[in-house]
Amino acid sequence: MKVTATNRQRLLAVSACSVLLVISGCSSSKKAAGTSTPSGSAAASSTAAGSAAATTAAASSAASSNAAGSSPASDTNPIKIGVIDAQSGQSSSLGKWEYDGVKLAVDQANAAGGINGRKVELTVFDDQGDPTVSTNLARKAVSEGFIAVLGPAESADAIAMSPILQQAKIPFITSGQSPAMPKLGNPYLFLNSPTSTTYDTTLANYAVNTAKFTHIAMISNNGAYGKGEHDAFTAALKALNVAPVADQIVTPDQTDFSAALTSIRQKNPDALFIGAEEVESGLIAKQARGLGIKATIIGAAPTSTPIFVQTAGTADAEGAVSSTPYLTNDTNAQTKAFAAAYDAAFGSEPELHGAKAYDGAEIMLQALKTTNGAGGQALDDAIRAVKYQGLVGNFAFDATGVGVHETQIGLIKNGVLTPAAS
Amino acid sequence: MQLFLQTLVGGIGFGAVYALVGMGFTIVYRTMGLVNFAHGQIAMIGAFLSATFFLDTKLPFAVAAIMSMAATAVVGLAIEGILRPLEARDFDLMLIGTLGFGVVLEAVATRIWGATGRAVPAPVDRPLQVFGIIIRTYDLVVIGVGAVAAVAVWVLLNRTKAGAAMQAVAMDRDAATSVGIRVGRSNAMAFALGAGLAALAGTLAAPLLYVTPSLGSSLGIKGFCAAILGGFGNINGAVIGGLAFGILDGFAAGHFQQYSDTVTFLVFAIAIMVRPTGILGELTVNRA
Repeated sequence: MKVTATNRQRLLAVSACSVLLVISGCSSSKKAAGTSTPSGSAAASSTAAGSAAATTAAASSAASSNAAGSSPASDTNPIKIGVIDAQSGQSSSLGKWEYDGVKLAVDQANAAGGINGRKVELTVFDDQGDPTVSTNLARKAVSEGFIAVLGPAESADAIAMSPILQQAKIPFITSGQSPAMPKLGNPYLFLNSPTSTTYDTTLANYAVNTAKFTHIAMISNNGAYGKGEHDAFTAALKALNVAPVADQIVTPDQTDFSAALTSIRQKNPDALFIGAEEVESGLIAKQARGLGIKATIIGAAPTSTPIFVQTAGTADAEGAVSSTPYLTNDTNAQTKAFAAAYDAAFGSEPELHGAKAYDGAEIMLQALKTTNGAGGQALDDAIRAVKYQGLVGNFAFDATGVGVHETQIGLIKNGVLTPAAS
Repeated sequence: MQLFLQTLVGGIGFGAVYALVGMGFTIVYRTMGLVNFAHGQIAMIGAFLSATFFLDTKLPFAVAAIMSMAATAVVGLAIEGILRPLEARDFDLMLIGTLGFGVVLEAVATRIWGATGRAVPAPVDRPLQVFGIIIRTYDLVVIGVGAVAAVAVWVLLNRTKAGAAMQAVAMDRDAATSVGIRVGRSNAMAFALGAGLAALAGTLAAPLLYVTPSLGSSLGIKGFCAAILGGFGNINGAVIGGLAFGILDGFAAGHFQQYSDTVTFLVFAIAIMVRPTGILGELTVNRA
């Protein structure tokens, strides 16, 4: 190709833009807890430029370095645990809560001497809430010798990572809730939370039998979590011989729900079930009120979070019903101690997601003590054998990886989640 | 009937937003010969600025909107300086260059405001009841403001000297220079105007949607499609195209739920294939 004046200019423009893209991709760093992990943390985050930039950024970010010195004996090296979660994007609050909960548990363990003298080394990976990215990160974790993974908080990402971690025999404890996960049949997958089935059975019982709603409308998204919620709640209603008066499906990225909500309003519901993540639930609640829908908002974990209240606005979130295993930080001495430690470390009050992440991390640490830092099948068996009284319930893992089977009902009053007077 | 009218009003509301984006985009194209694919991201910056003024410094919504438009226009002047080498070049250069610039703007917004985004409450909350039809009051506000803006732009372009200068530059740059029009200044003003319109669109859309750095890409794509649908380069066409696209989007959402985007863009693609020059016909800018 002859290098003419126009060609040269073209080449210059294209290369300038590629440089701009790579710079903006590499320079936007992870927005995690803001505290540094014991070793250098490797965060693979990127802009919206796509997976190409993500791979470049991931390749160029330094992997975590070994802080324990170069002693050849393997029993003084730190134990490597990976946290794979959304540290950027719309689900980033979930990722931050989870990371904070895990870090608190690990820091406390390390301060008490670690696992039989060995420190636990946490490395955070940003999967941006995207199953494609989380799959790549799972492979990265396998190849870099992590023996366990904590996270992610998004069910879709957990399902994507499951086959890779199963093949490498790496146990992972996820905060996701979708009932699709226990159905995967992965013996290395554990849930630190009840599944949507549990959340929604409790919720449906409350809605129909206690609050006596007669016209229940549903709106949910078609992502892994939303679909799980939709199916679980529909099944729970069916078991009570109730049919929803409306069943609208939206997408996880949607931000305008006026069409779905207008259609719902025609049916005059007295309760509106939302099966979507925190931010989307908040937007739905806000727009529902803006369109004159007076129905009570009911939902599972997302409607219990501060993000929901912030997005919907305190006025529109008032009276929302939530089914959650972690109602307040004042429930008992254990939760109070946890809340105090969390506040001291991160400057904010914990809620459900931080609590269940903390529980998951504690269970992982206990199992690691039993296996003396070994991973693989031994660690897997040890986790399954753990009986732990946690913040979100009494853990006893069954064969499918579910540990907790109960939730309670809370109401949002003045922007704060309080136990429902039953 | 009720559902139809409610969907129509909502569709026209969004249509006004797309029309504003399309108008700003078209003005920049017509006067500077620059196809600016970062236009949506400029709208996103405007949305973030007005959210900050409205929510953090607690200014009234209208004041926040005007301040955001002014601030974005100033930012637009800076952006115009950066993009000047791409003006009146061939299409590929403009495409790649402005697309890349849009990505940078998104990264800058993420840096400044974070990735999670913020929800903006509508300044007027209670829904109106008109003959048993419930209409979101804010939709009417958006339509009203959009109409006023469109008229104001028309007056500016057709009844003021600065507007006449912009149109002259659009017709023939060299002839405009030879009659004493300062082309550089006129172009800068045109870009500032386009940026201000984009900021207004972003501000109006913020309470209807959710302000995140990725708001720009969705508004940008739809505004761009609106401009094409109405006739690329035709300012009146941008308005018509915007309204048409908004109504199409609203009704698709009503009938097809989660597949509404698929249907909307499919219909748009078919419409363009049937009539490639758009509803009112193209007015492309020829540069040497």
